[in-house]
Amino acid sequence: MPLSPAFHPPLLRGALIPAIVLALGAPVAIAVHATAAVADEAASEDAASDDGPAAGTLMLRGQGIAKSLPAVRLGTDMDVTVTGQIARVRVTQAFRNTSDKWMEASYLYPLPQDGAVDSLKMVVGQRVIVGHIQPREKARQTYEAAKASGRKAGLVEQQRPNMFSTSVANVGPGETVLISIEYQAPVAQANGTFSLRLPLVVGPRYTPPHTLTSAAAVEDANAVTAAPVLDTRLGNNLNPTSIAVHLAPGFDVANLVSRYHKINVTGATDDRTVSLADTTVPANRDFVLEWRSASADPTLGLFAQKTAKGDYVMASVTPPANLDGLPRPPREMVFVIDNSGSMGGDSMDEAKASLIHALGTLRPQDHFNVIRFDDTMTRLFEHSVAATPDQVGLATRFAESLEARGGTEMLPALKSALEDAGTGGGTDPDILRQIVFLTDGEISNEREMMAAIGADGGRSHVFMVGIGSAPNDFLMERMSTLGGGVYTHVGAPGEVAAKMMPLLDVLSHPAVRDLSVRVEGGSLDLTPLRLPDVYAGRPLVLVGRSDKLSGTLTVSGRIGNKPWERRVDLASALPSPSIEKLWAHRKITDVEADRALGKLEDDRADAEVERIGMESGIVTSRTSLVAVDETPSRPAGARLTREELPINLPAGWDFDTLFGQDAVQQAPKDGSGDLAAMQAQALELPQTATGFLGLVGKGLALLLAGMTGLALVLRRRAA
Amino acid sequence: MNAAALRMPLRIREVAHKRGLLVLLALAVCLSGAVEIGRGLYIPAKAAVAQVLLERAFDRSRIDHAPRKPWPWADMTPLARLVVPGLGTSSVVLDSGSGQALAFGPTLLPGGARLGQSGTAVIAAHRDTHFRFLRDLKKGDLLFLQTREGVERRYRVTGMEVVRWDGYAVADAPVGERLDLVTCFPFDAIRRGPWRYVVHAEAVTR
Repeated sequence: MPLSPAFHPPLLRGALIPAIVLALGAPVAIAVHATAAVADEAASEDAASDDGPAAGTLMLRGQGIAKSLPAVRLGTDMDVTVTGQIARVRVTQAFRNTSDKWMEASYLYPLPQDGAVDSLKMVVGQRVIVGHIQPREKARQTYEAAKASGRKAGLVEQQRPNMFSTSVANVGPGETVLISIEYQAPVAQANGTFSLRLPLVVGPRYTPPHTLTSAAAVEDANAVTAAPVLDTRLGNNLNPTSIAVHLAPGFDVANLVSRYHKINVTGATDDRTVSLADTTVPANRDFVLEWRSASADPTLGLFAQKTAKGDYVMASVTPPANLDGLPRPPREMVFVIDNSGSMGGDSMDEAKASLIHALGTLRPQDHFNVIRFDDTMTRLFEHSVAATPDQVGLATRFAESLEARGGTEMLPALKSALEDAGTGGGTDPDILRQIVFLTDGEISNEREMMAAIGADGGRSHVFMVGIGSAPNDFLMERMSTLGGGVYTHVGAPGEVAAKMMPLLDVLSHPAVRDLSVRVEGGSLDLTPLRLPDVYAGRPLVLVGRSDKLSGTLTVSGRIGNKPWERRVDLASALPSPSIEKLWAHRKITDVEADRALGKLEDDRADAEVERIGMESGIVTSRTSLVAVDETPSRPAGARLTREELPINLPAGWDFDTLFGQDAVQQAPKDGSGDLAAMQAQALELPQTATGFLGLVGKGLALLLAGMTGLALVLRRRAA
Repeated sequence: MNAAALRMPLRIREVAHKRGLLVLLALAVCLSGAVEIGRGLYIPAKAAVAQVLLERAFDRSRIDHAPRKPWPWADMTPLARLVVPGLGTSSVVLDSGSGQALAFGPTLLPGGARLGQSGTAVIAAHRDTHFRFLRDLKKGDLLFLQTREGVERRYRVTGMEVVRWDGYAVADAPVGERLDLVTCFPFDAIRRGPWRYVVHAEAVTR
């Protein structure tokens, strides 16, 4: 064959170009060189450094990678007691210094978004130091002062309602310091199933560049992306966690299931003890425990706490679950699917399967549209179209073709969906406008998302489907609540159908309409202020405060065209020691909702959050818990080394999709976590040669060779 | 053929058989050459035809200022028209739905600024189709851009530069309206390389 090797690349190119263009076209948001504000400078400097192009894309600003195991090792123990419908959780973090230096360690971890942290204890040797609540900046100062003077100190700060960080200073060589925090959270309930979710890892977050407008914004973005992700080549068993759950819900437990971990169960049916089958598990995916009542479904849960400051009550009221006879109005549904890099691996498959499952349930009288986004966005149809088999088929093929890559610019996709839902369905009030949003929610601009939903004014119902082993439940829960929908979590490829079916049932039935709550024979300060939309089988959970608990609570509304009402005698409440803190947490959620809706300015919202936090002693965005040992331990001359403890990549995530092939080489440069502050933005330039001349040239050469051969053969035959 | 072959002496039949194979082989090589040429020529043909469809979609977009798909299954829409009066070229720029959009026209890279806003907008296209004309641009040349929203801009070329694909950055801070046109370098290379040719331009008031 007269084919020179030089012609080989064009041969492959035809197939490679789409792939390479796809890979390189991903806009890559790596910030480089703080000082280089001018493009040319940054370009020339960078050209010198790295070599060898790679298809990998690093799309997370500031999120570093740990190439080695940390000096300070962390072990976590969670001890959960469920009483009635409230879980009290003690989280003990053991920081063990394996090095010969004095260390400061900081660990970023998740807690349930509706959990209220109210206790911090630091254990040093035989001594227990109790933490106290302080305004955020003051707590930070207390901690820094103790750190500088060589005393041991522990600090617990809230970065997001579901994301906290613990810092410990002055852990001596070979020493172990225990940090123990406690929080309470209500147990979730849907269709008679109770579920307890213990998040174990914070998924790496994407920070949209446009949000980095001020020093404070940069600091915030750095805080939520502070934890480096352990390179998966070093294993995935970091931060071992042990879990024990004491389950005393007040009824006989049936159908006790752990979704993602193997468990052992012992004890009586109304007082179960659950522990992990393996003593510890790596902190890389959420722990979810579900149970039902062995007898008829308890439709009402009423708990109260009497304190010197007043009485607190929590009531959960569940509307009837059977709505079969009701009409199913036509709907306009906009599906939004996240195909950003953080979805790489199992998550993308789960999201696609969920979307395809949902598309399959559309009826011809429904209208629908599909929007996909990473840092770009595609709207399948210009406006919603009728769900004919052809269009549904087209959408299904579109869903199948999606691949995870790029950053997570969620805001434009949400706005586009809200706008579409606003225009496509006409003005018919009977058409339900619904947005089904499939994502892992790994972004840092949660507030912008909520503001966008708030600005929509409730025209569309937003249903969040959280995908993957550790989705951002704070974003999901609040977007669903503000958007008048519900939040569903699909955590494993096998449970797509099981989780999507109840959601689609909810979607096909209207919520309880004209919901109202009133109290007779007493007064009650109730949260949430803005009643959420309530769906069949899902309880409305009210938390209230009163000087003296008495009277009846009545919840009423309309299901279909029939009136529906439920009365609760407040005096019959069961005692529970956690309601006061839950009430404070609810008040903060109300303040944050007002902030998202633009009814409260930032300063006033912050002040209000700080006041509630200080009064009730819980950790909030404005208040932190700090514990300081009075005895100095670090000798005056010894240096203190600071370490951000690395986290596992959440189970099912794809390391290479997220960080790229050559990410590890960049780690030393990028690991500091303050890259978000940079001024110039590097852009990878796509491969821009079709190489068609190469193809034509190769073709000509082949043709020539063939014809020469032909001529030779024929001439010889003629001779 | 078979009947004729049977009547031939054995030796001649063997030779003819061998030659027949050679002829077939040569024909196969010719055929694959023709296929390669076809595949090669398909690329600029597709690029040219797409531009015609994009022109139409863009004209419709200009009427209602809304994105219009050039064909129903497209995952991108025309965003702007880039005209170089000095060279007589005009091409429709795409918002980048996906990387495959580059086959059909120049694409606005999502990492850069938006057209008509402060910052540096970056448009990339293939060096051997839509952006072949970049090699002919000179400092001081005028570019003309109109977006579907009706924004019109005039840019003046301020310089050219060759950079590595991964060694390019635009300033985040607003520094006036700039436009960078990017393609592969060198223009006549057969192989893919790490180098990119960047034409810098700056908006000028008319």
